Amino acid sequence: MACVIAREVRDGETVAVGTLAAIPACGVLLAHFTHAPRATVIIINHPDYWPFRGGSKEFYDFAQRGKFDLFFLSGGEIDRHGNLNLITVGDHERPRVRFPGGAGAAMLYYMPRRVVVFRADHSPRVFVERVDTVTSPGATPPDVVRPGGPWKVVTPLCVFRYDRRSAGLVVESLHPGVSREELGRRTGFAPAYDGVTGVTPAPTHAELEILRTRVKDTVARTYPRFATTAFAH
Amino acid sequence: MPVRGHVGSDYERLRPEFRVIPNPWSPSERIMLVPPIAPDVALIHAIAATGDGTLLLDHMEDDALLAQASRAVVASTERIVAPEELRRGDGVILQGIHVTALVEAPGGARPTFVRGVSPVDADAIREYVAAAVDDATFKRYLDRYVYG
Repeated sequence: MACVIAREVRDGETVAVGTLAAIPACGVLLAHFTHAPRATVIIINHPDYWPFRGGSKEFYDFAQRGKFDLFFLSGGEIDRHGNLNLITVGDHERPRVRFPGGAGAAMLYYMPRRVVVFRADHSPRVFVERVDTVTSPGATPPDVVRPGGPWKVVTPLCVFRYDRRSAGLVVESLHPGVSREELGRRTGFAPAYDGVTGVTPAPTHAELEILRTRVKDTVARTYPRFATTAFAH
Repeated sequence: MPVRGHVGSDYERLRPEFRVIPNPWSPSERIMLVPPIAPDVALIHAIAATGDGTLLLDHMEDDALLAQASRAVVASTERIVAPEELRRGDGVILQGIHVTALVEAPGGARPTFVRGVSPVDADAIREYVAAAVDDATFKRYLDRYVYG
């Protein structure tokens, strides 16, 4: 997933990674250490990648001005229309499941130019036909300022791209060894395909080497436990 | 205050106090307004402070903003220092005019940490989380760490 995310980072862009996003942090750092050395990298809570002095307000104000080219979000539920749910499942007043809350995700899905949605477990419980509560909608009415929005969804099984015309997710590529049958079984909606679905390029040895050394050491400053457990091989 | 995004999400349905209006400077656009959060009291812990309540705060946190939003601010601090030492410190300075009361309480942020003073103590957080599940265990926690 980190290698797939790294390929979405373009050199020279301003790229930000929010809270509880260790995998995007790895992907962005991998890109920064390889093909995107001139990217401005912002990683919340990282001592070397946090350019603000005014707390999270300065970060959110910067985002609201549309200064991020690429950002990352996730969802407790994610649906075929690219809607994200970070609030509740079930009756909102007496929820069956309560997620942590949006924390700006209803703005951060609009203002960065491209938002990559990530989720480390791909299951029918997460990838649903329709989210119960819409924290961050995939599509919005035309009278709302929205310079950006959903771009890709990256999971351990596949990459979806967000198709603005149909306002829905389309399978861009399946990871090596993943069949359409398996993806269908582990997704709560029927995945849409177009004529160009491919196979996600596998990580190269060079990418893995950098991930397991420089990226691991750097991400450990913010995610020490992740760094000690996620790179075992 | 106005906030970008949000319009078109379920916040419109779930939070009736959030208003959606035409942007006065660009009327073809709808924008959301959210009311300010104004806490009665903010409790914040400073890296250092001077006797007049001026605080040196963690630049990565929102304590200065929280203090300015609240009706009263009770600050604790690792230590009270001279004004010239406070100005040399690494952090954000909040002037004493925003602070209602100040107490010197080293370790007052526990079980959380103070950047530049003490490291993150994951075991202390785990102990707090375990104790917070019911009143009896939480009382034992308070007896040990607060009243003890």
